[in-house]
This record gives sequence, C-alpha cells and structure tokens, in this order.
Amino acid sequence: MKCLRCGNSDPAYFYKGSKGYYCRKCIRFSRLLLEEELEPYDYEISIGCQEYHFDYELTKDQKETSKRCLTKLTDGDVLLLCVCGAGKTEIAVESISAYLQKGLKVAYAISRREVVIELSKRFADIFKHAKVTAVYGGHHDQTKGDLIVCTCHQLYRYYQTFDLLIIDEVDAFPLKGNETLMNIAISSCRGRIIFSTATIDTNLKQVLKQRNYSSVELYVRPSYKPLSVPKTVCLNRYIALLYLYRMMKLMANQCIVFVTSKKDCRQLFRLFSHFFSCTYVYSDHEKRDENIRSFKQKEKKFIFSTTVLERGITIHNISVIILNFGKGFDQSSLIQMLGRVGRGVGDQGGETYIISEHYSSAVKNTLAYLKEANSHLEMSVLR
Amino acid sequence: MFIKNDPLCLKCRSALKVKRKKVQIEGISFETFFDYDGIFKSLLLQFKECYDEALAEVFLYELSDYIFMRYQGYRIAFIPSSEKKRQQRGFDHLEKIFKEVKLKKVHCFEMKEEITQEGKNLFERRKMITNYRYTGKPVKKLLIVDDVVTTGSSLIGAYTCAKPYAEKIKLLSLAYKNSSIQ
Ligand SMILES: [Zn+2]
Repeated sequence: MKCLRCGNSDPAYFYKGSKGYYCRKCIRFSRLLLEEELEPYDYEISIGCQEYHFDYELTKDQKETSKRCLTKLTDGDVLLLCVCGAGKTEIAVESISAYLQKGLKVAYAISRREVVIELSKRFADIFKHAKVTAVYGGHHDQTKGDLIVCTCHQLYRYYQTFDLLIIDEVDAFPLKGNETLMNIAISSCRGRIIFSTATIDTNLKQVLKQRNYSSVELYVRPSYKPLSVPKTVCLNRYIALLYLYRMMKLMANQCIVFVTSKKDCRQLFRLFSHFFSCTYVYSDHEKRDENIRSFKQKEKKFIFSTTVLERGITIHNISVIILNFGKGFDQSSLIQMLGRVGRGVGDQGGETYIISEHYSSAVKNTLAYLKEANSHLEMSVLR
Repeated sequence: MFIKNDPLCLKCRSALKVKRKKVQIEGISFETFFDYDGIFKSLLLQFKECYDEALAEVFLYELSDYIFMRYQGYRIAFIPSSEKKRQQRGFDHLEKIFKEVKLKKVHCFEMKEEITQEGKNLFERRKMITNYRYTGKPVKKLLIVDDVVTTGSSLIGAYTCAKPYAEKIKLLSLAYKNSSIQ
C-alpha cells in the first residue's frame, strides 16, 4: 500500500473505513481512498499569456540570475538561494514565461495566504494576458488557470500536474520540518521544481539528496547595500531588560523587537508601554492586523513581535532588536528577521542587535552567512 | 476486561479533558462532556470534515460505560445530518461515535428541509427548531444526542417534535460551544 499523495507506505497509517482503505498521514488535507482516482487536471494554457512586463527595470544581477535559472532548468531542478530582499519572485518570472510559452503548467507555491493574495496581484500585473488564479484556504472555487499561485497546503489538489513548480520560502513554516507536506508538494509536480530559499535546513537537504539539482545564487539586493551584520551581546535575562531599555531610549528609528514567545511579547509590552509608544503582535492575537497597521503608519515607534513579522513585511528605515532567549531562534528565522532592515532602494538601513543568554550555534551560523553574502556583494560590485 | 485499547496516545488523551456538566438553554437542560475548543475541536473536525473514521471511538472512550449506566432503558436517537454530507462521508458520524454505547438506538428524526448549519447566523439557525419531523414509533424513554451544541436549536427542535411520542426525554451533547447564547 502506498499513498499517491503523500508517499506514505507505513501500514499503520492506513485505516479501513466505510468506503475502503484511506491514508491517515495526510488525512487533514481530505480523505483520499486508496483506490480513488485522483482527479486529472485539464486546462488549456491560453496562447500569448507568457508575455510579461515589469514596471521597473531589473538590475544586471537579477537579469543574469534569471537567465542562469532558466538554463539550469533544462538539466534538472534548481535550488535558488537568494538573500532577503534580492527579488526572488522577479527572478522566477523569466522561467515561468518560458514554460507558459510552451503551453506547460506552472504553479508558484508559498507558505502564507496573505503573501499568496499579494503575489497573485503582482503576477497579474506582470503577466497582463494570463489568467492568474490564487488558491488558498477559504478561496478555492477556482483551481484552474494559466498560472496558479497558492499556499503549499493547497497543492494537495493537484496530482502530477505541474511542469514547473516554484516552492518559495522552503525554510519557513509550515514546510520547515514537515515531511508530509513536502511530499505532497513534490507529488503535485511532474516536471521541474525551483526551491527558493535563503537557507537550507535538514528537511530540504533530505529532499535534495533524492533529486537531481543545481544551485543558482544571488547575494546582491537591488539597493546594492550590504546586509546588516548585527551587534551581538550576551547578557543574563534581567540585565538584558535594562540594556533593552537603554537601547530603546537611544533608538532614532522605528524598531521591531523580536521575542521567542507570546508570553514575553505580552509582558514586555506591558512593561515598556509605560515608557515608550509601542504595540505588540503574535500570530493569533485578535488585534493582529490592527496593531501591524498602526506600526506601519508610524503611529507607534516600537513593536514587540514573535516570528509572525519575520517575513513579508517591508518598512523603510527600520531597526531590529532580537531577544534570543529560551529555546532561541533558528538560523533561517534570524536571517529573515535581520533581513527586514534596509530593503528598499534608497533605504538608509537601521541598526541590528541580537541579545542572547549565550552565543548559540544558530547565531554563529547567521553571522557567518551574512559575512559570506556580503563578501559576494563586494566581488559583484568590483566586477 | 477492564483494559480497552485506547486509539489516542497518552499525550492527546490527557489533553482531552472530560468536563461533565449540565447546561440549560431556554429551560431545556442537557448533559455535555467537553468544551468545544483545543484538541477536542481539532479531533472532531478531523473526524467530521476530513472523514477520518479511525477517530470515532476516541470521543466516548472513557464515557461509554457511564452513559450506559446513567441512561439505562433509554433509546438513543440521533440528530440527523444532511443527506449530502452523509453521502460524502459514507457514514453517519453520530452513529459511529455512539457505537460503543450499549443502549438501543433508533433513527427517528427527519429533516423537513436540507439545511446545513455551517456559516449560518443566529436567526437562520433558529429555523432548525421547526425543521424536524418525528418518524419513529412512540417510545417510553428517549435520549436525543448531538455532537456540538451552539445555539441549541437542533436539540430543542428535536425535543419539541419528539415530545408527543415519548414519555421521558433526556438530551445529551458531546460538546458545548459557550459563546452565542442569548
Ligand atoms: Zn497520504
């Protein structure tokens, strides 16, 4: 017995129900009976939908990387390693266009629904003649189109469908460490996959081991500014509070303070709201959107946040303080958080700090990663 | 004889807390075992919406003997779910849940109109009160069961239409969603 969707073949995960055997490993995506035929996906890619247009000029490096990505796809999968804010979406566009021109099916999968909504609008702008279909939880009446933009979870609807699948933010929740979801994503693709990420975790390593791939790297952001390397401080929890107070007092920019738990988030807000104009946010906070908005509109100077703000938020001239206590953040999270700084063209860039109890390996690796990326930048500028 | 095979792991079992209590809605009281949140909610959704039949025994695992003793002589009557849902699932979810309870069971309710309650507002849910028809024979003791009570309209509806046919009626719901009353 083997589940076509998630690849599970452990008999303990199969259960015989009223309609026959089904797989329980991927049951949360809907019940898939063992003898059930997966619905084929029939859609004719419309002619001329591959034409694309950017409202802005891509940088030289972006153009080069796009070309390299497309050529590598002829040999196998591509591991697209980009630093935060390098424009990985733009780089995929040329490959997408080439596949659409041949009448092949393409999907762009990413972790969170907010990003799906935003990206589908962006793609509709870039590919003016294509039918761009966004598919995410609570929005799946339409599952067909020239270009599918969806959350990774929704890929279970497509079995062996896509000729080109771009999986973005492979190092982020929910794909991070989720083997079942990864298998579902892979089984939705019959052709090539572009794994787009900033870091490689063990799960991705496992997957790549079984696939034939080549990597394409881009270490340069459109602003040609180096990534901000944080100042790291090792302090005891209580002294860290005093230190944080002093830093916040001296801080000129707006600033995100990342903490490891919701509890810390609430407590720090309660404490520091007496001294500073601040707000807080975590994933299931009821006023989540409202608090983020008030921060974006510069009504508040500080925001305490869990990993919820680590991706997808762009604010100009911002600083980042990371309180790396308790279990601590992992490397991919740290890189994303620090990547919030200096994103746009002409952004002055702010300061970055990591305050932790001890110098963890994740912090060490992060610093090494940033330094390496910056050395590539120097080389690229010299070229 | 005392040891049953628990389908849940120890961690989930200890997270799934039984909170037995009596609740009154509009003068009608019923017994309930769980709060509708946390692990109970996710298990029930996996069972009902993802059709994971393997979970059927999980809910009343510790309670089936209690129900048997407490309601001796009663017949279990299930609140009907929409025919469309039943077809999709391939099983009647309430019947599956109460399978291990060794009381007699009857299907004696019918929906006049196929209404699903999901995503309905309070007013629309109230329609359920008049949406049931009693189709069974007259009985002495009837135990009407449901999975989740929100507004109580299903239970109240079934109760009202069964009243002329049964001498004694008790109501039971797995969980109670404590919010939208009033
Ligand atoms: Zn499966």
